[in-house]
Amino acid sequence: MNSDAGSRRGRGFEWCCAGLLLAALSCPWARAEEPTWRTLDQLSPAERTAFDPATDTPRDAKLPYVPAEAYPFQAPYTAEEMGYRAAEFTHIGRWPHSLIDVFGVITGSGYINQGAGVSYVWQSTPPGLASYIYDLPAGQDYSRWLFFFTFPPQSEAEQQLWIPYRTDATHRTKMDFFIYSPELRRVRRQPQPRRDQRFPDNAQTFDDVVGRDPWEFAWQLEGTDVVHQTIRFPDTRPTVTFNVAGKGFVEIPTGAIKPLGDDYPFYRPDGGIDCWVVKATTREDLLPDYNEKTLVYWLDKHYFYPVRMEKYNAKGELIMIEVRNAKRENTALPDGFGYAALMSLYWDVEHDIMSYSVHDGVRPHPWTVQEAGMIFTPEFMRRQWLVEPIKSQMLIDDPTQYYLRPQLYAGRFPELRKIALSTDLMERVQAQEAAGHLVFGAAAEPGK
Amino acid sequence: MTQSRLRWLTVLLGLMLGLPPGMARAEALYDALSSFDRTMATFNPLGTYVRKPIERLSPRLTFKGYLREAIDVLVQPHEKVGYRNQDFRFLQLQTLLEIESAYHIASGLDLNSLVHAMYDGAYDWQSSQGLYADRYDRSVKLYDSAEQVLRELYVSYRAPSFDLLVGKQQVSWGKMDGQFIDIINAMNRSESAQLESEDYEWRRLPMWMVNTTFHFGSNSLQFLYIFDFESDRQALPGSPWYSPQIPPPGIDRRRPTRTPRGGDFKAHEYGVRFDRSMGALTYGFIYAYLWDRNPVDHVVGTDLVNGQSALRLEGEHARLHHFGATADYATTLAQMPMVGVLPVVFRVEALWTKGVVFIDYSKQAAARLGVNTDATVEHDTLRAAVAAEFGLPANTTLILQGAYYQTFGWDRSLGYGFGGGISDEWTLIPLVYLSRPFAFSRDRLSAQLTVFPMLSGPVHVWQGVKTKLRVTYKISQFINTQLVYNSYDGGDSTDFYGQYDKWDNFGWELNYEF
Repeated sequence: MNSDAGSRRGRGFEWCCAGLLLAALSCPWARAEEPTWRTLDQLSPAERTAFDPATDTPRDAKLPYVPAEAYPFQAPYTAEEMGYRAAEFTHIGRWPHSLIDVFGVITGSGYINQGAGVSYVWQSTPPGLASYIYDLPAGQDYSRWLFFFTFPPQSEAEQQLWIPYRTDATHRTKMDFFIYSPELRRVRRQPQPRRDQRFPDNAQTFDDVVGRDPWEFAWQLEGTDVVHQTIRFPDTRPTVTFNVAGKGFVEIPTGAIKPLGDDYPFYRPDGGIDCWVVKATTREDLLPDYNEKTLVYWLDKHYFYPVRMEKYNAKGELIMIEVRNAKRENTALPDGFGYAALMSLYWDVEHDIMSYSVHDGVRPHPWTVQEAGMIFTPEFMRRQWLVEPIKSQMLIDDPTQYYLRPQLYAGRFPELRKIALSTDLMERVQAQEAAGHLVFGAAAEPGK
Repeated sequence: MTQSRLRWLTVLLGLMLGLPPGMARAEALYDALSSFDRTMATFNPLGTYVRKPIERLSPRLTFKGYLREAIDVLVQPHEKVGYRNQDFRFLQLQTLLEIESAYHIASGLDLNSLVHAMYDGAYDWQSSQGLYADRYDRSVKLYDSAEQVLRELYVSYRAPSFDLLVGKQQVSWGKMDGQFIDIINAMNRSESAQLESEDYEWRRLPMWMVNTTFHFGSNSLQFLYIFDFESDRQALPGSPWYSPQIPPPGIDRRRPTRTPRGGDFKAHEYGVRFDRSMGALTYGFIYAYLWDRNPVDHVVGTDLVNGQSALRLEGEHARLHHFGATADYATTLAQMPMVGVLPVVFRVEALWTKGVVFIDYSKQAAARLGVNTDATVEHDTLRAAVAAEFGLPANTTLILQGAYYQTFGWDRSLGYGFGGGISDEWTLIPLVYLSRPFAFSRDRLSAQLTVFPMLSGPVHVWQGVKTKLRVTYKISQFINTQLVYNSYDGGDSTDFYGQYDKWDNFGWELNYEF
């Protein structure tokens, strides 16, 4: 018992140190005289005009779990409607397109594992969330995603076919999942990944990729905030080279990359993005045993694009932070609906592993009937045919060039966000902030 | 596991390596491991200095390869086991290099090749009287003939609804673990009971063929025309996995096996496969008219040797008709105890083979007495499997697979025949496979356990169990290593797994892909 008590005291001291470090790490804007974040009771008159606090709005006659007001809704928006709008922006855009997904993971020791895969996306419904909600009966597939891996060598020519389904309370299967392994020379159907479980060697979960249905959560507005940075580059990586549709490889200074791209018209003078901060709580009746009990979103106020998301477990502990840079990839869609994730970063706080995903060489791709019938079938993978190669130079050459851990936003919404990182991890974060890049090994722990 | 716990694990490792129990020293070790990780992150010398320059020189060429070091060592040599002198320790000391290249000639048209080189030091690097297969067949330790080195070479042409592949290639049919409708290519089975589906890629024996597939909607129809012949390669006498229960040759005289000739039009083989996918269900059917990859001894005469009747035997391959089916279905089970939602896939596969030729030992005995018979008999066989794969929490995969083998019209005088029960009328292998990565290692460490119990009837009942435990560690995105333990337990010395009771072994593999 004595040792238990001692252990608890030690733990308390550890958390205390972590708390002090958190305070020290508060971002510059948080230390400014006027905080960037405001709670509900501090909303400005304009914000109160745009927000409808109602929580019991009329329901759709056919789909009782959906608001009666037609998507994409009109201002003022309820928190639930904001959640629906945010669901528009899944990791993979809701329209036919092609891209190369460059992704990777890094651990605290500097182990890095990366991959790249050419991705083809075909959709059976019109672009956007509206058709997903209204046009499809639950239990029917709405899209097909084919991934052809080109890196690392051991994964070359591996392929995956994802066929996601429209789901509801009774139709729970999220997708059909097939893989082709060149080593086995076989196409095999796989069980769909568990939704709340991160992929092996990755911080990203299945739902992070496919998206979450907004009706599976209870939504609540917590306030507003200003986001200035999402994905942060290290000082060791002054430029990156994107594959830009129609332009080829374009080298861009990392300091010039904005969270919502150059086209976003609503940046503040200081470059910040005005955001709603919305809490989504898992509905136990629809998602029992779901590990991610609470999600906190930072949604840009105009398009509801989720530039940041945090996950909390059943104990209320922070388990992951996702930040995104987006770009208006589909100019045919109006009012910001054409925005798609350009870069996403997932920091699993529990294991201190960080995954990234860059969608490079993105271009809308209206597949012909013949192409769609040929490419998006399980048997196509046996042909080992990379129909349209897409190249990227976004792989990271060295662990020190990896993206920084996302900002913690310590002090913002303290009632909502319980951030209690271990002393070790806080020291790593501190070392990163001081150095301007990730610091590995014992050197990341200056106290040692 | 928190970073702190990981660091303490490193400290423990430091102590295990004999470092003084000082925190500074442990921190130094932690630093060293971190430095090693970062160095290995970019360690890809063959990729950097071979692959990249070649591909830069010829942008139409894709060039890749892998290098594999594999060592299997017996837990304990036992000297005399059955008819064998097990005075060796290493079952393999194998270096395998494969280079795969594809040259893009024109839109849809490519020239593909796969060359490989293998050296197995098991015959040279240990002193053994029991290992001598290399003295009469060098290919067991070194691939040095053009046919062996040039593993695959074919031209592929792809159009939207049509594929044509002509040349030396391997074709894998089926979806299950193990071989059920995967019957096209012969296989190097010299590892006997140790051979598993993950090895098929480099153990299959490619053959020259025309392989064409038509695609229409969610359907595909494949035709194979094989103008080549390969037989399976079994473990040779004096090789590590040669069965200890096979006695030395007796007085019977063996003539060279009659092998179908690739140049003979009548000897060519054919196959057709149809596949269809419809939502949660996919299914397919196959038919193939192939040679049995293993010859069956026919009695072609008798002689008197020292007053005893000796058989003149000639191995001969039989023509077989294969009919097969495969299907899989996916679903998600809700509110399951302990695991909540449970994604699951069901697979089924079956192969009916008509006219399999068996040795009939009662007829062989009659032949010794002067009865005019070739001492073979034909029976139909069935091999089939049903599997369920479950996606459990913590990225854990559980597969339960029942594999069943049956010889129709079986009797006790029958020898081995394709597809049927193993030394029995029927055989059942209820396989269990469990795999999971470990989060404390950031998923770099994973373990897989496979258990293959073998039941059969009516003679043997219990033929033993093979257990395989594999632990894999990702060193970097280019290199991984694994430790494998295989054990063979139970059954009698005449049983399939029981005969290898003294063959428990540890394996170590290092794989580098570039």
